[in-house]
Amino acid sequence: MYVAGIDIGSMTSKAVIVSGGRVVAQAITLTGTGGSDVAHRVLEKALEKVGLQRNQITYVVATGYGRISVPFKNRQVTEITCHARGVKHLLPQVGYVIDIGGQDSKVIRLGPQGEVQDFAMNDKCAAGTGRFLAVMAGVLNVSLRDLGPLSEQSTQKVEISSTCTVFAESEVVSRVAEGTPVADIIAGLHRSVAERVYALLRTKMVRSPQVETIALTGGVAKNSGVVKALEEKLGATLAIPPQPQLTGALGAALIADDFAPSELIRSS
Amino acid sequence: MFEQFKNWFESRHDYAKDWKERTGGKVIGYFCTYVPEEILYAADVLPVRCLGGHEPQDVTEPHIFGMFCPFCRDVLAQGLKDKFDYLDGITISQSCLHLRQAYTSWDMHKPVEFSYYLPMPHHVQSLASRPFLRSELVKFKEAVEKWTGKTLTDADLDRGIEIVNTNRRLLKQIFELRKADVPPLTGLEAMYLVLSSQMTDKREHNKALKELLDQLPGRKVEREIGERLMILGSENDDVPFTEMVEDVCGATFVIDDHCTGTRYFWNEVIPKEDRLQAIADRYVDRVPCPTKDWPKRLRVDHIKNLVEEYRVQGVIVVQQKFCDPHELDIPAIQQSLKDIDVPTLFLEFDVTAPLGPFRIRVEAFLEMMRQDDLF
Repeated sequence: MYVAGIDIGSMTSKAVIVSGGRVVAQAITLTGTGGSDVAHRVLEKALEKVGLQRNQITYVVATGYGRISVPFKNRQVTEITCHARGVKHLLPQVGYVIDIGGQDSKVIRLGPQGEVQDFAMNDKCAAGTGRFLAVMAGVLNVSLRDLGPLSEQSTQKVEISSTCTVFAESEVVSRVAEGTPVADIIAGLHRSVAERVYALLRTKMVRSPQVETIALTGGVAKNSGVVKALEEKLGATLAIPPQPQLTGALGAALIADDFAPSELIRSS
Repeated sequence: MFEQFKNWFESRHDYAKDWKERTGGKVIGYFCTYVPEEILYAADVLPVRCLGGHEPQDVTEPHIFGMFCPFCRDVLAQGLKDKFDYLDGITISQSCLHLRQAYTSWDMHKPVEFSYYLPMPHHVQSLASRPFLRSELVKFKEAVEKWTGKTLTDADLDRGIEIVNTNRRLLKQIFELRKADVPPLTGLEAMYLVLSSQMTDKREHNKALKELLDQLPGRKVEREIGERLMILGSENDDVPFTEMVEDVCGATFVIDDHCTGTRYFWNEVIPKEDRLQAIADRYVDRVPCPTKDWPKRLRVDHIKNLVEEYRVQGVIVVQQKFCDPHELDIPAIQQSLKDIDVPTLFLEFDVTAPLGPFRIRVEAFLEMMRQDDLF
């Protein structure tokens, strides 16, 4: 029996196919403006990889901000729960999850069973999200994936406002005009994201970050510069899954795997 | 069953205009629930609460600081845009500075024949607040008498007290029914009851409440109740948010602590020979607003009692952005609920609630409460 988790994020959509608690295929595609079409596309992409047919998927859990508009879902679960579930599977000893996605960042405190005990999300502001970095990459005319490596060449500290994406953007423009090296600006941006996320974490942190295992998930976890800035801020090393942006879809698929048998029996 | 109450709330301005026409009486807009409506009813004046309109607006910026709470700006906008052009008077009792600014600016730009600032004391935990408020009520009564040309006798005050007390008693009896395993009314319906009571003639409202109270116990509830939630904060007349939590997310609000909810009607005036002292005591002793709730935080214990009595499983704490008094109390409230293992979800409200992002937070909150099957 195969089940799927589909995570429709603001920038990318992800699909993970699971069978008996084991991942068999996964796929990522840009969300774009296709509406519910992207859910089909990303699932097809994952199916193709292992030569499965659409009708072999018996149960689908949708998550992410676009979860409601996935037409073929059996159930929808929020990304908070799905990220926690995904992390529980990948990194069972974790106490906190920081997820930095395209349009929001969140902090989840996990209980002894890996369950959600508390959570916080950024409010009404793109600062501290992937979108913030995407906007800045655009301003600096560098590719998103180069931000991490470029920031490693930074030699001096540059402070960038962490409160507002629009203000930060005009700050970056002034820095460029002053002739500040791009590497330094990027490193400053990474610290600004780290600061924002750290502040969010502090609202839910019970003990000090040094004694907790903290996982970082979401696409931004692939940016080595943000990871470094956040680790410096925490004074601790982050646990990062091999494919951090698939964590939500994986959690959704695992929930689907748990639910499928009982739900299917009930409906038949 | 609730259509009448919903209509009153939604057509509040038409109602007030119609009321004026058919009674020939005066209508006063009040900004805060610390205004003693008993005295206004005694004078046959209709008090209607000035609430916001939940629409983006561009008229208050020159008059009120941008970091004052969205509610007070929304209220002022209603005045500046002449939504309340039928008012004969406006009044406020001291609660918070933001709302007082809305009142002051309204008074300055849309003057009406009667305008009264009532210095309701903050330090209600001091014994001195009782004689102080009584002395202020004497002045308030005199001002109302001068305005209406009518001397208020003890019999008038008794009538005023009776009208408002009956309304409080009926609302409380209806809210009592929400303790049931299957409450016969939703949080949204309860919200319509209290909101409409703040803007209709309570004599009519009482009649409708009595009829409702007769029908409610036999009402069949078709929907699933889901999690039993409490909602608390300053004021809340955000219908779309309440609707989303109950209809889309599948939970039920069984109780609230808002000044558009239980704080408004929870306590009655206890009769005394000295009528004004009896009224003063009621406002000193009522469930306090955070501006009045110090040095002891009495409201926290009250909230915990409600949680227990209404068997609340989770609490949504809403805050009007930039509301300083509530910001002061929210950490203490959240901590005390945490101590009794009741989870809370904090949401910051604005003129319009961002339903998409709020839906994720509310659903995640509910999943957190029912997650045994998700992990």
